[in-house]
Parts: sequence; C-alpha cells; structure tokens
Amino acid sequence: MSEGFPQALQFSFADGINRLVDWLVLNYGDHLRAVSDQLLQVLVGLENLLRLVPWWLLLLLVGLVAWHATRSGVRSLVLVGLLALIGMLGLWDKLLQTLALVLVSTGLCVLIGVPLGILLAARPLARRLIMPVLDVMQTLPAFVYLIPVLMLFGLGKVPAVFATLIYALPPLVRLTELGLAQIDPSLLQAAHGLGASRWQRLRRIALPLALPSIMAGLNQSVMMALSMVVVASMIGARGLGEDVLAGIQTLNVGQGMEAGLAIVALAMVIDRISQAYGRGRR
Amino acid sequence: MKKGPTLLLGALLALGLASADSAAAAQPQAPIHFGAIGWESGAFTTELLRVIAERGYGHATDTLPGSTVSMEVALARNDLQVIAEEWAGRSPAWVKAEQAGQVFALGDTVKHAEEGWWVPAYVVEGDTARNIKPLAPQLRSVEDLKQYPQVFRDPEAPGKGRFLNSPSGWTSETVNSQKLKAYGLNDLYSNFRSGSGAAMDAEIGSAIRRGQPVLFYYWNPTPLMGRYKLIRLQEPPFDAQAWATLTDAANPAPKGSSSLPAKLSIGVSKAFRDNYPDLVKVFEQVDLPIDLLNRTLASMSEKRTPPREAALAFIRDNPAVWKAWLPADIAAKVEASL
Repeated sequence: MSEGFPQALQFSFADGINRLVDWLVLNYGDHLRAVSDQLLQVLVGLENLLRLVPWWLLLLLVGLVAWHATRSGVRSLVLVGLLALIGMLGLWDKLLQTLALVLVSTGLCVLIGVPLGILLAARPLARRLIMPVLDVMQTLPAFVYLIPVLMLFGLGKVPAVFATLIYALPPLVRLTELGLAQIDPSLLQAAHGLGASRWQRLRRIALPLALPSIMAGLNQSVMMALSMVVVASMIGARGLGEDVLAGIQTLNVGQGMEAGLAIVALAMVIDRISQAYGRGRR
Repeated sequence: MKKGPTLLLGALLALGLASADSAAAAQPQAPIHFGAIGWESGAFTTELLRVIAERGYGHATDTLPGSTVSMEVALARNDLQVIAEEWAGRSPAWVKAEQAGQVFALGDTVKHAEEGWWVPAYVVEGDTARNIKPLAPQLRSVEDLKQYPQVFRDPEAPGKGRFLNSPSGWTSETVNSQKLKAYGLNDLYSNFRSGSGAAMDAEIGSAIRRGQPVLFYYWNPTPLMGRYKLIRLQEPPFDAQAWATLTDAANPAPKGSSSLPAKLSIGVSKAFRDNYPDLVKVFEQVDLPIDLLNRTLASMSEKRTPPREAALAFIRDNPAVWKAWLPADIAAKVEASL
C-alpha cells in the first residue's frame, strides 16, 4: 500500500505486540486483577468516606481550607458557591466520584513524581534516560495503552487511575526537577560547609526553596487529571465524565455542557486553593 | 497537461460533490461508492458485494469512510450509493431519508440477527479442558440470574453482581437499564456502563481468555459470537407493548420482552436503484446464514485477515451460498475470476 518507501525496508511489530498482550492476559491477568482490587478498595473507601460527610459539612470544610489558603473571605465564598452549584445541578454524587478519582491519582502522582524529580535533578544520567520516557507518557494517545491496561486490570476506576497517572505525572516531575536545578549551588555548599548531611540539605534547604515550583507542578498535575476525566469515563469510570460522554453521544448538548462546566468548577476550586498554598508560605 | 482540469472535474462529479443525482445519471460507469463500514460484519459484507459487482458485472467500485450517521446522510445525497449492512429503521437520519424516498433498504441479508444478554458457556457447563467448574449450573434465563449475583461479582460494589451494559448513549443502553428493572435485578446487579465499544470488547475478551464469569449485553452477527462458545439467556418472547416500555427511559415500571428482532438490509440510494436494476435484484436475494457468518468473522478477526481476502476466501469456500443469489452466467463469471 505505502508506495514510495522501499518495500524491503518496511516492517511491522503489530503481531508481536498482539501476542505479548494475549500472553500477559492469559498468564498474569488474574494476579494483576488481584492487585487492582486492592487499589480499588482504596478508591471505593475514599468515595464512601466522602459520601458519609454531609454535603453542608463538606462545603464548610472546603470553605475553611480555601480561607486558610487564600486569607480572603470573598474568594472562599465564591469557591464554595461553585461547588454548591455542582450540587444544585444534581451532580453531587458524580462530583464525589470524580473527586475521589482525582485525589487518589494526584496522591500517587506526588508519591512517585517528587522523588523522581529529585532523582532527575541529582543524577544527569537518570535525567537523560527518563526525559524521553516523560515525552512518550505525555504524547502517546491514551487509548493505545488504555485497552491493554484495561484487559489486564479490569474495566472501571483502576485503569482510569493508571491513565491519569501516566498523563498527569510528567509536569510534576519536570517542575520538581526545574525547581531543584534552579537553586543557587553556593547555598548548598554553605550548608555542606556547616556540616549538614545530604538529607538535611535536601529537606531543610533544597525542597523549601523549590516548593513554589513543585506546587506549580502539582497544580498542573491536578488540572491534567481533571482533563482526563472524560477519557476515564470511556473505560467505564463513573463520575462527571460519564455525563459528558452520554451528553455527546446522544447529542444532548445541554447535559454535556452541565457536566462539562461542573468539571471546570471543580478544577477552579482545586486550582485556586493549591495555587494559594504554593505562593502563600513566603 | 490540458487534461488536468477535465480529469479533476470528472473526479468531482464522480464523487458526487456537484449535484449528485445528475452526476450519477450522466455517468452510469462512474465507480459505485460503498460506505467503508468499520465493524467486522459490515466490512466483510461490503467486500463481498464489491467482488460480485466487480467480477460478475464489471462495475468499478470504491469505498469512502465515515461514521454511521454521516454515511446515511451521504447515501441520501447519493454521495454514497451502497451501505452493505444497514440496520434499517434504527436511526432518525435513515427513517427521514427513507420516507423522502431518497434511500431504500434492500433484502434481508442476515436472518436471525439478534441482541440480548449472554454468558460464556463455561459459566453454565464448566470446561474440563481448562479446569473450570460450572459456577452457575442452573442458569438458563434472565429470571435465574437472581440466584447468581455473587458469581458475577462487581469489585466496585461488593455484594452485587455486575451486568456489563453497552456504553452510555447507545440506544441499547436504555433498553438494558429498563430490562434490569423489568426482570427485578436492579438491587442485585450494578448496571455497569462500559464507556465505549472498544472497552466493552476488551473486558469481555479478557474475561473469557482468563476463564472468569462475565455477564454482558451483546449482539449478532459479530466475531465474538463465532469465536467463543456463548449462551444467550432466555427472555420473555417479543411483545410490542412491553418493548415500548423498555425503549422509554422515563417509564418507571417497564415490562420484560426480548429485543425487537433486528433486520439487516443493504441500503442503496435512489439513483443506484434506478441505474443498476441487475445489482438491485442480486442485493434483494442476499442471504448470509448467521452461523457461517459468525464463524467467518471470528476467523477473520482472529487471524486479522483483511476483509477483502476474507470475502474472496468465503466465495471460494462457500459457492452454494452465493450462487443462489446470482443468475447462472454471472455466477460462472465470478467463479472463473477466482
């Protein structure tokens, strides 16, 4: 078919990949499902915990956190109002499901991303090896790896967390690395001269100085996690994305818009709070 | 060099971008445009019909891609002349065009096409070769599902079974959700919408390969049906009134019924019907036995054969099936071309 390029140089690794996926499903499918069930327990547990909290208490808590972060009464009220609006649109339960998904994936992002960023900043070789991997993670079309992940880990929330993780992790790693790389080396040398250990230098000097950059990375991760919500719903994860998808597929533009704006509202709430924390401390 | 613009104009006309009807009328020898259907049975049937049109009647053919609805709209405008597998009457675009006399559904190409709820056979009968015990030996009908929610356990909602529904937004999703209510399974099974067709296929395929129980909505003719041994759960016989309660998502008390029997036809444009009476006659005769079709699709999807090759192999291996649709001299021509 593809004339113009010499036939002899053409090859395809599609069959190999197909066989590999089949083999993985057959031999490791059940084990991986067991692992995925563990992660699912965390997710469902968090969801149920959020459901236990009465709606007004949750709004109040968000208001308090917002006030603590921004020190501005008006802003906190606007943010609480946005969340209340999602509830008024009848999307409260879906909001909680989406929130649980975003919280768990962002939590995993921090657990993996920050140490990885530190490693990248400290070891040039690691940096050279991992940077291309981050590029792949951000640009490989999600469905290409979602379907195999889904066959291995089951339909629903767990592959959704993986997909979100793959997509949302790179900015946090990059910005952590950037923040650490930009610290004036003389500060660290001075600390070294005063007898601070490697760990003390990292914890007491490097990380606090890099914090604004790390928080900006975290903020980006959360935003990207929220933008993955619709893709997540295409592999059976419940939440706000499901309504967007159903709205699009049935040409119910209104329903899609309601749920879509609810995602925007949630994003704004999380963004304003996390930004304020990133900026506020100094 | 001079021919450039004329050729281009001819190509435009052939594509039907200009006034569609007159183009087809003025140039009956322009290639017949088939809709390039993405799903397996449609892709296979398209190639089968193209082989017959090309080798039996000497007409040039080609395909143009598009989504289902856009192909139906293109057919109404005669930008396409043939959609080889049309689930006539299911989409508003089709119904409107048919009422306006722009499109016609020919024949009844696959009899006994059906949709319903299925489980792998090993769930009921076990599979000694793979060392799988029958987990639901008494399972025959949707009514029996009440005994077995724990077999089809939903990890996201422990204590409930999982019914794998089609993605939100499909017509069948509404019907299945209403059926869950009608069969009294709403409290026992979670209504799990699979998000997309690809996700649904991946989940079912993965479960079957691992020998795990899975309860799902599906339809015929599909590779899945020919590839694995599946059991369709019995439902009450089709009843038009009950069906109306199932298609209406707002109905609080739906009544159970099998789904409306599917009728698969070949969709053609008005211009095609007028200009190709010989092919129209053939299309009206097309009759693909569903078991054979399912098996063909299964091997096509398993071996990842291109639809064209699968169609040629089908013609080679099953002469009795397609010769019944064609006049003897045409059939001889097709056979001689192999």
